[in-house]
Amino acid sequence: MDTRNGTRSSNQPQLRINVPSSARERAASVDPYGFERSEDFDYESYEELMSEYLAVLTRRSIKWSKLLQGKRRVDRNLRVKRFVRKGVPNEHRPLVWMESSGAQDRMERNPGYYHSLLDQQHDPKLVESIRTDLHRTFPDNVHFRRSADPCLQSALYNVLVAYGHHNKAVGYCQGMNFIAGYLIIISKDEETSFWLMEALLGRILPDYYGPAMLGLKADQEVLGELVRLKVPAVWRLMQDHGVMWSLVVSRWFICLFIDVLPVETVLRVWDCLFYEGSKILFRVALTLIRHHQDLILQAQNLPDVCERFKRITRGAFVHDCHAFMQAIFLDPGSLSKSTVAKLRESCRARIVAGES
Amino acid sequence: MSRKKAVKGKGSSNSPSSSPISDKEKGKKVLTQSNGVVYPSRPSLSNSGEFYDIAFKVMLVGDSGVGKTCLLVRFKDGAFLAGSFISTVGIDFRNKVLNIDGVRVKLQIWDTAGQERFRSVTHAYYRDAHALLLLYDVTNKASFDNIQAWLTEINEFAQQNVVIMLLGNKADATHERVVKREEGEKLAKEYGVPFMETSAKSGLNVELSFTAVAKDLKHKEMKEPNEPKFQLQEFVNKEMKGVGCCRS
Repeated sequence: MDTRNGTRSSNQPQLRINVPSSARERAASVDPYGFERSEDFDYESYEELMSEYLAVLTRRSIKWSKLLQGKRRVDRNLRVKRFVRKGVPNEHRPLVWMESSGAQDRMERNPGYYHSLLDQQHDPKLVESIRTDLHRTFPDNVHFRRSADPCLQSALYNVLVAYGHHNKAVGYCQGMNFIAGYLIIISKDEETSFWLMEALLGRILPDYYGPAMLGLKADQEVLGELVRLKVPAVWRLMQDHGVMWSLVVSRWFICLFIDVLPVETVLRVWDCLFYEGSKILFRVALTLIRHHQDLILQAQNLPDVCERFKRITRGAFVHDCHAFMQAIFLDPGSLSKSTVAKLRESCRARIVAGES
Repeated sequence: MSRKKAVKGKGSSNSPSSSPISDKEKGKKVLTQSNGVVYPSRPSLSNSGEFYDIAFKVMLVGDSGVGKTCLLVRFKDGAFLAGSFISTVGIDFRNKVLNIDGVRVKLQIWDTAGQERFRSVTHAYYRDAHALLLLYDVTNKASFDNIQAWLTEINEFAQQNVVIMLLGNKADATHERVVKREEGEKLAKEYGVPFMETSAKSGLNVELSFTAVAKDLKHKEMKEPNEPKFQLQEFVNKEMKGVGCCRS
């Protein structure tokens, strides 16, 4: 390690163990969710950020405990909405996501349903396509390794197989593996993960994952239209270089920002996704684009545009999840439900007309 | 449907929309096309900071899990880390500049999601691809059986003169193999496309598959009028290595 430590340790070797001297030594190489930190992980910035964010988390945790008062119910009102936007403490996430999305209600009204799906005869084609992705889901997460005990791959398999049989029209679509994986990491329970998945795919999101992926294609175009309204210079750049939106944002939508944004930021986005609905995805995308428009506008050609769209999902702006979440509700300006609904309708019609 | 028909008539008859700038057209400064491949007056700096003379767009296609991303990473970085790959969602690309007979050829290699439903998203990108590497997995019969469907799709959406190469990947997995090399050869012959077996894990023929395609594309663009046509399969036959033997 560093020389200061080296000199000291030659005299008092035991000090090295008790007093870690760099941020790298103080932080674990695996994050609280089991993801290994990459080689270039910036421990110094992380520590600086966390020193402030931990205070936020503690404050929020106390407030949430008071709000919930040990109840297993979450109301829907402006106060709760504000609370959700400021972040749900991780220990309350399964409850708050289940309650606010209606998943809890569905689960209670369908006891045994999840297990009955698993007990059914399984469609071999569905099983095959899920198996192909099992070892390709979060290989960087220690809990998803085959050597892990318990290995979350089996929970992942069960949730995906159950969902595929529950919603035969969708079956299994790549991207769902990452979503189910996150749900399992957070809820630590298969059945809860299944019902959250059911809420997301069945009610919260448009039809992103069906064989025609129509909802996905439409939402990519909706984002394009919103950029045209709110960040016109970027829209023109995309036109000039002939960049299709699917090229730069399909992962954002399909994976709901998993592996696009930092884990903590994704979870904060999902807090709102479960409570407020899929409109939040546009707020996140618009904020990323608007905040970095100067950087995007310097792009010289299509590959350059793509590269810059990757770069805008990294860095301090997205790592500071608390500030980022404040920004998404301010930066893009107003975004009414009816605007989104109208755009979704017109973009969908355009795509259907174009494909027929 | 035979691939032969589509492959015929290639060579110098490239449509302007797919033709990179060669020496003859050096007058223009920089021409950016809708497909984003930049064809500069030479030499030019690619995004990765490497100089190149001519650029082509290559796409990796084939069923989910056949090893498209692994092949690309092996070629780009020379690495294969078992169990470190995630399923590709959507579409992505990487660049690599190769030196082909003294010409710096930049390949812009597009990696696509293999699952069938993603094809409706990705086939829009076939249109301006100069070459397609079509992969199956020698340990997965279904991925081999689907090659025909892939070729039909390619016929429908790609350019007529696109360079196609069929690759049987995971050739290192001798024990799990279910598709014989001869079966791959036979299918390739039937459709008139060059073929070889590869292994992203061992590195077998990985470099060669991309180099051969780059050579073919470069040759088409820069050959003198009386120069004979580049024979991709012949070149590959001469250069490729068999699995566990020294077939030459």
